[in-house]
Amino acid sequence: MNRFSCIFVILLVLFISMSSIAEENPSQTPFGQAAETQVSAPASTAEEYKFDISEIEKKPYHIAGYVEFRPAIFWLDRDAALYKLRFFNRDEGKTIAEYNGKLQLEGSYEKGIARLFIRANFDLQYSYLGWEHNETKRMIYEGYLSLKPSDSLSFKFGKQTLLWGKGYAFNPVAFVSRPKDPDDPELALEGVITASADYIKSFSGPLKTFSITPVIFPVYEHINDDFGKINRLNFAGKLYFLFYDTDIDVMAMAGKSRTSRAGIDFSKNITTNLEIHGEFAFINNQRSRVIDSQGNISEKKMDAKSYLLGVRYLTASDTTFILEYYRNGTGFSRLEMKDYFTFIDRGYDVFLLNGDESLLRKAASVTEGNYGRPNPMHDYLYLRVTQKEPFNILYFTPAITTIMNLNDRSLSVSPELLYTGITNLELRLKAFGLVGGKRTDFGEKPNDFRVELRVRYYF
Amino acid sequence: MKKILICLFALLIAVPAYAIDGTQLLKQIDRNLNPESYEMYRKLINVEPDGRKKEYTLFSVKKGDDKVVALFLAPASDKGRSTLRLGDNMWLYIPNVGKPVRITSLQSVVGGVFNNSDILQLDYAAEYDVEKIEETGNEYFLQLKAKTKTVAYDRLKMWADKSKKLPTKIECLTEAAMLIKTLYLKEIKDFGGGIVRPSVIETDSPLYKGYKSVFIFANIKQRNFKDEVFTLTFMPNIESLRK
Repeated sequence: MNRFSCIFVILLVLFISMSSIAEENPSQTPFGQAAETQVSAPASTAEEYKFDISEIEKKPYHIAGYVEFRPAIFWLDRDAALYKLRFFNRDEGKTIAEYNGKLQLEGSYEKGIARLFIRANFDLQYSYLGWEHNETKRMIYEGYLSLKPSDSLSFKFGKQTLLWGKGYAFNPVAFVSRPKDPDDPELALEGVITASADYIKSFSGPLKTFSITPVIFPVYEHINDDFGKINRLNFAGKLYFLFYDTDIDVMAMAGKSRTSRAGIDFSKNITTNLEIHGEFAFINNQRSRVIDSQGNISEKKMDAKSYLLGVRYLTASDTTFILEYYRNGTGFSRLEMKDYFTFIDRGYDVFLLNGDESLLRKAASVTEGNYGRPNPMHDYLYLRVTQKEPFNILYFTPAITTIMNLNDRSLSVSPELLYTGITNLELRLKAFGLVGGKRTDFGEKPNDFRVELRVRYYF
Repeated sequence: MKKILICLFALLIAVPAYAIDGTQLLKQIDRNLNPESYEMYRKLINVEPDGRKKEYTLFSVKKGDDKVVALFLAPASDKGRSTLRLGDNMWLYIPNVGKPVRITSLQSVVGGVFNNSDILQLDYAAEYDVEKIEETGNEYFLQLKAKTKTVAYDRLKMWADKSKKLPTKIECLTEAAMLIKTLYLKEIKDFGGGIVRPSVIETDSPLYKGYKSVFIFANIKQRNFKDEVFTLTFMPNIESLRK
């Protein structure tokens, strides 16, 4: 652990030094130091402000990305059901450390109406399980060819992220994307291999914009095979309207890989500092596996309705509130979650008694993507409060986020400090506290508390 | 009595003939600042009290009264972000997030003194009515009132050069007449195509004592765009407009 602390400190110092050097030499562009074309005329001002025309020269290609180091410490809750499920056969003490590294690279090449784009993520982690990295096939987050014959029409072929919906933390209508992490909703998500088009039409009058986005996505072996049933072709589509200054999307998905679903969302600015948004999704024949306290597994089938209502409000003192209520129609009831946690406790007792792991393995089999998904229950309230540049500290943004499970009154609280004052360097210190009693959503997570530092350098 | 009435009537007709038409003047100022539809590059520099600077480079296009979009070209941490304004609607697109989100005009996507409505500036005449106009020496002094509650600053005080019909200083105030920021328009430059306007706008604010933000303009050109460019669906493609 000491070794990694040293590595971390060295990297941190290196990053800060690099950026400080860049700050001290703001005029040194990749195209050379000479600012031949200076926009400001008089010598005094010209010395102060420089605008080198080479900075805005367009190239047919671009390469960019970031490198990130994110160490984290977890304080374990050794009485929690999910701790028992994960650590039943090992003792890692009261805390565990995790060291995460990430390299995100993106590049594009443009010629005529065509553009090739690729975004790749390389994740490396060192934890109590040793060294791990993301699967090779999951490294490409996006990789597509786009064709834009006109400003009204474009096509995309390949892997792309289609994040539908207006919610900040939750998107029940995001039918063709992977679920967001409500703890970090702005993280890039791995895309889906699709063929899609966008057609846009503008009008004058109450309807200002209309656009249509049809999507085809195959699910075959090695192609989107984690999306649902394989050897199926799926179709989805979205209609967008800007009508009476309100964004409205209507979307649907049909195919045999997942059950059919349809949804609608909206977003509108009420005043210069208040925005409201909402989503509604109807999912036909949704299935989930339910385990009772005795370990009997059954399949639950239902028509699910999920929805979200949210506001974004900015005060005169630059405090932003994002408040969202999320109804997860595909979630589990309080009783179903209690049964699941009770069964894990029972399995753990059996393991302690005679070393039999079978009950815990059975519980694990219904956890992944089911009980173990983020926000697995019905009703959640999300609140994020950010204060822009308090005490006139430029680029400093403290925030606090809370996600409350309204069914069992458990919650997570995450204060954070973000500083972006050094060009291309982003520093974020974030803590996560989980509060909840026995047999509650957040109370049974494997850890009570977590602190992480994220150092990200963009290039 | 009849003579007095005739004189008064004549005076009433004569006075508007000599008065300055504030709306017309404001429209003229708008046209002198920018063509109605254009593309331009800007560098935004935030200067902290200790002299430290942070720079952003933006590519902007505008069409008509109510359509404007800005794309961040630098620094690397912000590259690819774009902001769109269509009338009172504003959106921010962050490539990593992958979808445009609505933002409010009073927010700031860059930090510092400039907010979103400064970055996505429309014509003054599109957002403000001229309440009062005075002539002082070589300057016009215009007092402007926002046409709707959705405009970021309720009142503007504008000082404009009489011969060039270009603003030299603008104060942005709240409804309660509280000063939010002052813009100083400097360094008049010939951008070509008949566009002769200030190339630097410096801004300070009593809310950010000691801080300063600066816009430097380059490559302002008249250019026409299709309406479809100014839509939420087009936001990920703004870069394709650059030549």
